[in-house]
Amino acid sequence: MPMNMLPAHATRCSRRDLLTRSGLGLGWLAASGMLHTDAAGGVETSLGTLAPRAPHFPARAKAVIHIFANGGPSHLDTFDPKPKLQEYAGRAIPGALQTERRTGAAFPSPFRFSQHGESGLAVSELFPSVARHADRLLVVRSMRADVPNHEPSLLLMNCGDGRLVRPAAGAWVTYGLGTENQNLPGFVTMCPGGYPISGTANWRSAFLPGVFQGTYVDTKKKRVEDLVECIQHPLLDAASQRRQFELTSALDREHLAGRRHDPQLEARLATMELAWRMQFEAGEAFDVSREPKHVLDRYGDTPHGRQLLIARRLVERGVRYVQVWHGAGQPWDSHSDLEKNHRKLAGEADRPIGALLEDLVGLGLLDDTLVLWGGEFGRTPTVELPNDAGVKTPTGRDHNHHGFTVWMAGGGVKGGEVYGATDEFGFKAVDKPVHVHDLQATMLHLLGLDHKRLTYRHSGRDFRLTDVHGRVITDWLA
Amino acid sequence: MTRPWANSLILLVALLGCAGGHALAAAPSLDAERFFEAKVRPLLVAKCQDCHGPDVSEAGLRLDSRGALLQGSDAGAVVVPGEIASSRLIRAINHADDMAMPPDEKLSDDDIATLEQWVSIGAPWTGPEAESAGLPSRAEAMAERITTAQASHWALQPPVRHPLPPLPDDLPAKLRREWATSPVDHFIAARLHAEGIAPAGPADARVLIRRLCYDLTGLPPTAEEADAFAANPSEVAYRELVDRLLASPEHAEHWARHWLDLARYADTIGYAFGGQSAKYPYAWTYRDWVVQALREDLPYDRFVTLQLAADQVQPAVPRDDLAALGFLTVGRTFRGSRNDIIDDRIDLVTRGLMGLTVACARCHDHKYEPIGTDDYYALHGIFASCEVPDELPVIGEPPQGAEAEAFAKKLARLQQNLQEHEAAVYDRVVREAVSHAADYLFEVVQPAARPDGRPPKLADGYELEQLIIGRLTRLLRKAKPDHPILGPWVSLSRLPEDAFPAKAGELLAADTGDGSTGVNQLVGQELRSASPKSLRELAEAYGRLIARVAGETAGAVDGEDEAPAVVALRRLFGEPGTPFIVLRSEAMRLAKRSEQDEYRRRKRLITKHQAEVPGGPPRAMVLEDTKLVDSPVFLRGNPGRRGDVQTRRLPTVLGGTVVDRSKSGRLDLAQAIVAADNPLTPRVLVNWVWTQHFGRGLVATPGDFGLRGEPPSHPALLDDLAFRFVEEGQWSLRWLHREIVLSQTWRQTSQPQPETLDRDPDNRFFSRSRRRRLSWEAWRDSLLAAAGTLDRTARGGPGSDPLDAKHITRRTLYSWLDRQDVPGMLRTFDVANPDTAVHVRPQTTVPQQGLVALNSPLVVEAAKQVAARSAREVGEQGSPADRITALWRAVFARSPTDPERAMAQAWLTQQEGEGNGDFGPWPQLAQALLATAEFQYLD
Repeated sequence: MPMNMLPAHATRCSRRDLLTRSGLGLGWLAASGMLHTDAAGGVETSLGTLAPRAPHFPARAKAVIHIFANGGPSHLDTFDPKPKLQEYAGRAIPGALQTERRTGAAFPSPFRFSQHGESGLAVSELFPSVARHADRLLVVRSMRADVPNHEPSLLLMNCGDGRLVRPAAGAWVTYGLGTENQNLPGFVTMCPGGYPISGTANWRSAFLPGVFQGTYVDTKKKRVEDLVECIQHPLLDAASQRRQFELTSALDREHLAGRRHDPQLEARLATMELAWRMQFEAGEAFDVSREPKHVLDRYGDTPHGRQLLIARRLVERGVRYVQVWHGAGQPWDSHSDLEKNHRKLAGEADRPIGALLEDLVGLGLLDDTLVLWGGEFGRTPTVELPNDAGVKTPTGRDHNHHGFTVWMAGGGVKGGEVYGATDEFGFKAVDKPVHVHDLQATMLHLLGLDHKRLTYRHSGRDFRLTDVHGRVITDWLA
Repeated sequence: MTRPWANSLILLVALLGCAGGHALAAAPSLDAERFFEAKVRPLLVAKCQDCHGPDVSEAGLRLDSRGALLQGSDAGAVVVPGEIASSRLIRAINHADDMAMPPDEKLSDDDIATLEQWVSIGAPWTGPEAESAGLPSRAEAMAERITTAQASHWALQPPVRHPLPPLPDDLPAKLRREWATSPVDHFIAARLHAEGIAPAGPADARVLIRRLCYDLTGLPPTAEEADAFAANPSEVAYRELVDRLLASPEHAEHWARHWLDLARYADTIGYAFGGQSAKYPYAWTYRDWVVQALREDLPYDRFVTLQLAADQVQPAVPRDDLAALGFLTVGRTFRGSRNDIIDDRIDLVTRGLMGLTVACARCHDHKYEPIGTDDYYALHGIFASCEVPDELPVIGEPPQGAEAEAFAKKLARLQQNLQEHEAAVYDRVVREAVSHAADYLFEVVQPAARPDGRPPKLADGYELEQLIIGRLTRLLRKAKPDHPILGPWVSLSRLPEDAFPAKAGELLAADTGDGSTGVNQLVGQELRSASPKSLRELAEAYGRLIARVAGETAGAVDGEDEAPAVVALRRLFGEPGTPFIVLRSEAMRLAKRSEQDEYRRRKRLITKHQAEVPGGPPRAMVLEDTKLVDSPVFLRGNPGRRGDVQTRRLPTVLGGTVVDRSKSGRLDLAQAIVAADNPLTPRVLVNWVWTQHFGRGLVATPGDFGLRGEPPSHPALLDDLAFRFVEEGQWSLRWLHREIVLSQTWRQTSQPQPETLDRDPDNRFFSRSRRRRLSWEAWRDSLLAAAGTLDRTARGGPGSDPLDAKHITRRTLYSWLDRQDVPGMLRTFDVANPDTAVHVRPQTTVPQQGLVALNSPLVVEAAKQVAARSAREVGEQGSPADRITALWRAVFARSPTDPERAMAQAWLTQQEGEGNGDFGPWPQLAQALLATAEFQYLD
């Protein structure tokens, strides 16, 4: 493994640290010097590559939960009220912009907005449970992306580039910080029923080592052994497997004894022990049936309820980056029947998100967990006209990358605040526009990482999540 | 607010007049100096330099010195000293155009005034950054960098043969004898001696044969082979073994896999839009070509040339060699983004084959290396002059028999379905265009409002097509009032609305109707009978004329076909390529989304049929020269911002020769890469082969031989091997493998001498062998070998699912890989990222690998097979001890030691009476062995 497999700032944690964290007390492990990095062309153990690393500067957030409302949720119907649309209902609005498809007259939101919390934050009736946390939300209403199409916008939001093969933010963060729990993957991505559009590209490690890639979990499945690959022996019961494992270990120890000092071999034995433990810890972490009934009820026994509850359990256990997708394909893509579709989608997502925020507060985790909610873009304030792409009636909105909303909570951001604004119709971010790269730069900043210093050398140049862009928005910091 | 500077500035400006800034910059007056320091510099620092400074220079612009300021951005000058109006910087800060700076928040009026004043007085600067003279231009700086690199960078000097360093005196006599033969050993021993390190000594026979088999073939030796070699580990026996392995098909398969990492091989295009097939049906023909080339030990220069230009070499190659071009074409297609596809090919060829990071120069001159954007776009032109044809050439016979017949029949039907759909869409597009001809004519004269920038949609739901509007507009723009057909339209359509009826009547009355006035007879007749009262009616009259000669209603003029008036009208509106009769090839562009979806669906059925149904002939994934173009530089990599056009040529650092103008230049490029005087190619190749054998290269950055790459640890050895690879070995890879595996350096034990751990902790001096985990492929193949299920006859052809536990018979090389969805298990074992040329895989040790060994269905299935095999081998009479021995020999290619056998027996006794169905104690024991480090690691 070349030297650059770890970020330049990586500092080794002490061996005792590591043993404490991994919960291992094996004498031979401690004596093995397994933290040795074989600097060039050699071997890096996961205990090195995924070991927790100090950030560039003190972090405000330790973990991220990114709730991805894929397909493009309408900011105009959720967190960015535009009464002006009522005034123009059925009429063309001045300064309409080009998006993916043809749109027509102003389309006022069919949903009621009201003010919440001491901050008086405006949230529509779609998100009553989220609205209860209004004073913890930082609502950024001036997001912008580059193009009105799903694929490039998803990749931009996740990987910082709409076209090229680049690592996902979760991979960058895990590369930069390692992860706190060696018995679980550092970057987990959950999506019920299949992949979102652009598939695994959304959580790939690209040129970063494969260990930083997001581990995909299909949360439509319920049984733990279906959720996590190779987590259980398909045929053996636990007692038999224990005996089998002891035999392997005995043979391995014998093998090691005949070979003087080899950190790689020692690391291999250590990781076998970890794998053994992982079977139980990962199984436990993903098994929401272990939660008391009243907790399960608050989240709801739906894919969304289960995956947000899993998200909480993972962050509790030290997983660094958790991404939660609404569903396969692009569920929030309401080109028509927006009222019905958005009501259904928000109905699925609202309660468990509220429960998640409540639990994170209750467990004292919200302070150092950044929760991010949003899509790849927003939607037009104008109605999408019927077309032969399946839109029969003018009842939905087209994609809108000119202006949209995301919100954050916890992790060192201000609460009860609105940042930036779209124009009076909600078409374009006009006040304090925030590009996706700026969001990424600021997210890394919250995690204690300087987006300009978190680089990886590949093909002769130093790459980073924000490429040559991005600026940290200090106004967001609490 | 008071402005202390204002008065003196007015004075300054008055004094200077339009003297310009240069004189002033050389010696700014005291006032100007104070003004700059107090007002301008703080503003530049606070508002500009974050993005236009030493760290980031957006658009290539820096605003931290006067020289940089005057040099401007990628798009040219931004400030003309003394001239506000022509300074783009001033327009930008006023948000006058699209280019609005700073992008987020406009400067205050005061700040804008300050910068305007500053530019108007000549943009004076003070301090060390004030110098504007002496700053070399970009081109000069790059030329100098290239000259310097060519003169002094190690990798650009021709490799030469070095005298062999003598073996160190203190080498023990036995080692001296052994290390005397191979030149490799002389260089390594001399360096070890210089570092005060003793070599580790030879590995024992069993370790050596196992390492050799895996290194050359990716498979373990059988227990019998290992026994035989252990019994007679002589030099002669070793050399025979090496030769036998190098000649085996398994060797070609194993090294083909290494090469496929470099070729970023996979079986899909990457992301596919809904309705598009992601599969490359014939990527495997490239994979099989690589295997065959290595089997024949095709010289490396030829190997490379065919992969870049098999279609262009003379004399022409047999058709199956066209499959070599898959090297260029099996990459990701980036959702059809041409420039990204070209970039991928440029990176593959330059970094992959020569260790040059040319792709960095896509957006700006390389920051460190002697490569400019001009070099990049000179190569861009080469690949922009090539395309993958729609129909790939057949390079072999389809398999005989009913299967092939069924394949061809179904294929013909699918192709016909596609053509029928295309024809139907074409008919609809033309029919609707013709029936809306009047609307188009009307639109050209009185365009409807376009609030969203698109052509209008009519009341009947029809959307006008921009392509047709454009073509019609151009036609009408050219027409003069005396045009026989369009003349009346040109004259009448310009009339104001209220004057139309009267004026139109006048003009029409002037036409005699016999063609003598020059007006086409049909047009004259139609207009007189219609006697249009408005532009709309005029358009409708023309619409009827057009309908008579175009589309389905053309038959209405039966019998008049010979009339010259009809012929003329038809030539204008009735032939393909005229405004309403679009070309067949344009039909799908004008199709409705549902029609496009259907088109893709039918096309996908063809690809799917070719990819999945056996019986079709193999095809080569070729690239062909098409329209030859030279590419302009894309400023900042943006195709919308064009710089100078670059003639297709080689990179300057490689001589910069212009390619044969009659071709794309792929052949010239290939020949330059393998030219005798190319210093990079043999070095990169030798180092790449060395890296696979040793786990570490002589150059630790095998894909970067540039100024920022690692210098070689043993420069003379690298030189010597590269030189001899070409001179002695005649580019033979097999020669090179022999040089390496016959060296004593390679045959060392992995057990270090105790004191070398301090002196050579990371083994960069090759003081011992490097212990390694098996690659994913070698590990899975070893499961097959242990299970005894490896089918050595099933070579080549379309790939199969690597994770299918039910059919573990084919080598992993022959598995199918979706680059968009590389299975997690493969990732866990560090398979190469199929999106970029990989010279060496990362090697991680992670718990997920342990989970695979413990629980994956693949291992479980293999364990059952290993157990079954051991039962077969010992027969019904065999004792448990015999069966244990058989298990050990199947898995480890050695018999168990007595304690091991005893341990296994005790363990089996312990399992008696336990359940677990058909996964009883023996399969469990087999799996326990398959999960050990011994099985998975090489000493």
